Amino acid sequence: MGGRHSYAGLAQDRRFRLLRTRFRRLAVSVVVSFLGWYFLYIILSAFARDFMARPAIGNINIAMLLGILQFVSTFFLAWRYTRYARRMLDPLSQQLREEAERQRAELDSIEQIMAERRRIETWTPERAGPAARGARHRRSYGETR
Amino acid sequence: MTGGRLLTFGLFVVFILITLAVTFWARANTRGKDDFYAGGRAFSGPQNGLALAGDYMSAASFLGIAGIIALSGYDGFLYSIGFLVAWLLTLLLVELMRNAGRFTMADVLSHRVRRQPRVRTAAVISTVTVSVFYLLAQMVGAGALVSLLLGLEGGTAKAVTIVVVGAMMIFYVSFGGMKGTTWVQIIKAVLLMAGTVVLTALVLGRFGFNISALLGAAQEASGRTGFLDPGNRFGRTVPGDPVGTLINKLDFISLALALVLGTAGLPHIVSRFFTVPDARAARTSVNWAIGLVGVFYLMTLALGFGATALVSPERIIAEDPSGNTAALQLAQVLGEAVAGPVGGDLLLAFIGAVAFATILAVVSGLVMASSTSLAHDYFGHVLMFGRPRESQEVAVARLSAFAIGLLAVVLAVVARNQNVAFLVALAFAMAASANLPAIVLSLFWKRFNSTGVVSGIYGGLGGSLLLVLLSPVVSGKVDPVTGGSLSLLPAGVDFHVFPMENPGLVSIPFGFLCAWLGTVLSTEKADQERYDDLSVRSLTGTGAHTPRQD
Repeated sequence: MGGRHSYAGLAQDRRFRLLRTRFRRLAVSVVVSFLGWYFLYIILSAFARDFMARPAIGNINIAMLLGILQFVSTFFLAWRYTRYARRMLDPLSQQLREEAERQRAELDSIEQIMAERRRIETWTPERAGPAARGARHRRSYGETR
Repeated sequence: MTGGRLLTFGLFVVFILITLAVTFWARANTRGKDDFYAGGRAFSGPQNGLALAGDYMSAASFLGIAGIIALSGYDGFLYSIGFLVAWLLTLLLVELMRNAGRFTMADVLSHRVRRQPRVRTAAVISTVTVSVFYLLAQMVGAGALVSLLLGLEGGTAKAVTIVVVGAMMIFYVSFGGMKGTTWVQIIKAVLLMAGTVVLTALVLGRFGFNISALLGAAQEASGRTGFLDPGNRFGRTVPGDPVGTLINKLDFISLALALVLGTAGLPHIVSRFFTVPDARAARTSVNWAIGLVGVFYLMTLALGFGATALVSPERIIAEDPSGNTAALQLAQVLGEAVAGPVGGDLLLAFIGAVAFATILAVVSGLVMASSTSLAHDYFGHVLMFGRPRESQEVAVARLSAFAIGLLAVVLAVVARNQNVAFLVALAFAMAASANLPAIVLSLFWKRFNSTGVVSGIYGGLGGSLLLVLLSPVVSGKVDPVTGGSLSLLPAGVDFHVFPMENPGLVSIPFGFLCAWLGTVLSTEKADQERYDDLSVRSLTGTGAHTPRQD
């Protein structure tokens, strides 16, 4: 993406690897459990119709009961995911993010100071004329961000 | 016009006026790209959750599912379940996509690849195709529904309705941008939830809040055995034809697969990930959406079975053979029971207005997503090499909204008398086959490259389109009794080769396969550094786009 800064260096950080492992483990467990349970239900609806048609409570049959359980399990998994993410992922990612952004800000300010120094060192009265100002104006006009 | 219809019309006008005011307000507060595409990223989690639910709960789910349950019993409920469970996948992807992207899916896909323009172009084509198909389904439905609510008959009335709905959605999007569109979604979601809660409470009240009694009454009124059991609509058993039965069952599984995997790749859902300040708010908004969508789809049970028990299938079919009017007829019956004919007209008018709001909101969300993709990805990044003038790009977005809206209106007017309900399932299948593989592999597969993204998107998109074209949906499905055509094309034309109506079971694995093959067969090497950068950004939120501070 143009001249945007790369944070690739952080990928080797031990804490980042821990974060990534935790996320992947969580994602895999959520996906396996909800897809498995959903398709179990779908396959039962397609191929085990006598079982699904059995009454459970009054006129509510097994199919309806399992269908409503799909809702319950969805709410439950969303809640579990969110709780785990808050406890195990958010603190880590926040720490890494703040560190990376602090480093980035330091680098930026060093770069700015160096650029300013270069400008002072190479300054001559002719270069500060209206032409240079015009050039600077044109440059900022083309900026998109 | 009778008094009830006049009231319905009056409520439509009120809704239009309110949303117009919101749109004008949004226009005055929209300054740049961030405002136009992402509502300034200033919506809170709960607000965006309401808007997500608003974008998602289409008239097809409100009226359509209630109708399917009313006519086919338990099988209609399977739609509700698929539509809800799909959100868990969205929950897992939302934070990563919010962190890594700026406005669109293409931002996430193009982050790590070497050939950005090709990837962006593929993402734009897929986004626009999915949106236009979904739009077409909604607009044709809108034509039928609104003319029915206002008591207008014939093709001209439908065409006029479609044009009015189209003009409104173009106005919301091109004028109000994401801010306007989001508020329209929020208003609609509140209205829809309120309307559904009222209907559900009234239905349950009639049966003493005893669900078993409601089901029993529905079973009795349906006049057939096994109304509450699976198999009335999906995966139907063909007597004496085990192969046909198996194909029907696989077709049903194919539909379920597309529903559950499609949601996370729907353009109008994805573009909503970027309207919140950060990934945590994005997670909160999906959790809100899960809550709202879940409660809503549970209530479709009461709506559907309530309509069977209180309206009776004969009367529903007499009004509309596909059952789309079941919820409206139910509203009238319930209102009459509470406050006589006036009550019936009142509740019908209210639910009619809710349905109208639902349609308008969903179509605007779709136009918003596709015009963002055209302007930001195609104009901004492909044509202008990522360096367009901001004002220019926003102008292009407004124009694109107009162009896409116009295209949808023209297509919908042409197709106004066709049964295009299958397009909703097709849009889900396309999103799952083309977009999901690209998103998942971009985020998690080290070796994935430009060729893989492009071949995955085109393979999944083309595969699902081709399969539908060659399926009984388009040609060769004949009513065994009358001999009339049940397909899009008239009887006698038959080129169907693919036996199933839903392509997902084949096209989704095919999309993944194309993405994988494209990657391993190309000589291009993945950019390891950019992949690491993408992982760090997506998981930690480092360098994510934040709301402008001013």
